[in-house]
Amino acid sequence: MDALASYTGLEFAKWVLAPGKWAASRVSSFWDRYVYFVGVREENDSLRASLAEATQELVLLREKAAEAERLARILTIRPPVGWSRQGARVVSHRLGPNASLETVLLDKGVLDGLEVNTPVTGPDGVIGRILRLSPTAATVLLVTDPNSRIPVTSQKNRTQGIIKGEGANREMVVQYVALGAPLEEGELLVTSGLEEIFPKGLPVARVTEVGRKGPSLFQTVYAEPLFDARRLEEVALLARNPQEGRAQAEPGQGGVAGQKEPVADPISHSPSTKVVPPDPSGRAPGLEPPRPAPAPGTERKKPPRSGP
Amino acid sequence: MNAFAIAFWSMFTLAGVWLQGIIPGVDFLAPGLILCLQEEKWTVSAWLGLAWLFIQEGTGSLAFGTGLLWYGALVGLYYFGHWLFEAKNFLFMFILGICLGVLHLVLSHVMAVLQDWTLPADRILVEGLLQALIFPVEWGLVYLIYNHLPENPHAV
Repeated sequence: MDALASYTGLEFAKWVLAPGKWAASRVSSFWDRYVYFVGVREENDSLRASLAEATQELVLLREKAAEAERLARILTIRPPVGWSRQGARVVSHRLGPNASLETVLLDKGVLDGLEVNTPVTGPDGVIGRILRLSPTAATVLLVTDPNSRIPVTSQKNRTQGIIKGEGANREMVVQYVALGAPLEEGELLVTSGLEEIFPKGLPVARVTEVGRKGPSLFQTVYAEPLFDARRLEEVALLARNPQEGRAQAEPGQGGVAGQKEPVADPISHSPSTKVVPPDPSGRAPGLEPPRPAPAPGTERKKPPRSGP
Repeated sequence: MNAFAIAFWSMFTLAGVWLQGIIPGVDFLAPGLILCLQEEKWTVSAWLGLAWLFIQEGTGSLAFGTGLLWYGALVGLYYFGHWLFEAKNFLFMFILGICLGVLHLVLSHVMAVLQDWTLPADRILVEGLLQALIFPVEWGLVYLIYNHLPENPHAV
């Protein structure tokens, strides 16, 4: 009887309890997994948020790295002897219905010591000159504008001409290059300094085509600018130093592209502050120097404010 | 002028200057001047017109007076046109836009000649076309927005 009870009652109880146990274990397991997945989901959401933050931070850091690279390139611009450099940001390009000339708007103005015709350069060469000023902003006439004309000299053959813009995204024209004058394609054109606005020796453009058209007494020369106006973000502004005469007398104070003089350490020049050379009078460097007082008889006349 | 109108014209000016930076050569404030003449007192139009005149003259590279001629001609055309057309008619705005497009060509050319400058004709032509297209569309949009402002007697 005992065995019969074991074989029946016990077996019955097992068959009754086992599925229940199995079901309970499945339900329990399911519940555990559900709870676990809820946790995973929460963790997933949290990780997603962290990833988004990290991605955003990465984008910001990449942007800062690119900016640092651009600023470092600006710092490589060596101010010529007797000139100082300060950086400026491009706020906007042509603005409004009256902006007929190829211009950009900078975030520096009269309060930063700028004047009309202040030369504006980039890491690769001349960008333009100040056309219009307000207390904290300035409009720059780009060298690619058809109304911009700069006397230039070819770096290798020293052939002179006047470079004229032809508009945005177009090659520039070098005028008045005599027929016999040597000039090579790929040659760099640098400022000659004859107009007394730009320092001598700043790169302006690269010759792309030299030829002759019709019965002209001059060669037809085309050149490409050394910057892309659409990608301009930071520029350097050059200003004459009051110690110009002294600096010229002392060798080794700086130089420009195409010249062989040793230069001051460009890293010591912050792009956001006025840069001055070491002052023998002991004044702290980095402070804005007094306005240059031109020597008697050497003061240059400024063109009309509204003219390019 | 209530607070909403002040906020509207301030936002309109900011947005207009931003849009002018994005699409150079086009006046995004001109439709606002017409809307102001239609909806506000003449003193409001005068003050806003003066402020926008200085913005256009300051940001532009042509000699002072171009903006004066530009807005003067726009106001003149509006007052001349509203004798012939319904002042708030889209067709009238379309014609006004075409007139502004032509005016941009003529004014830029005349001022460039007077200043002995050279301007790329193709670029000025494109700017004139854009001005003619954008003017009526922008006027329609700001007209709708303005008339949905709270505390506006014409609010829908």
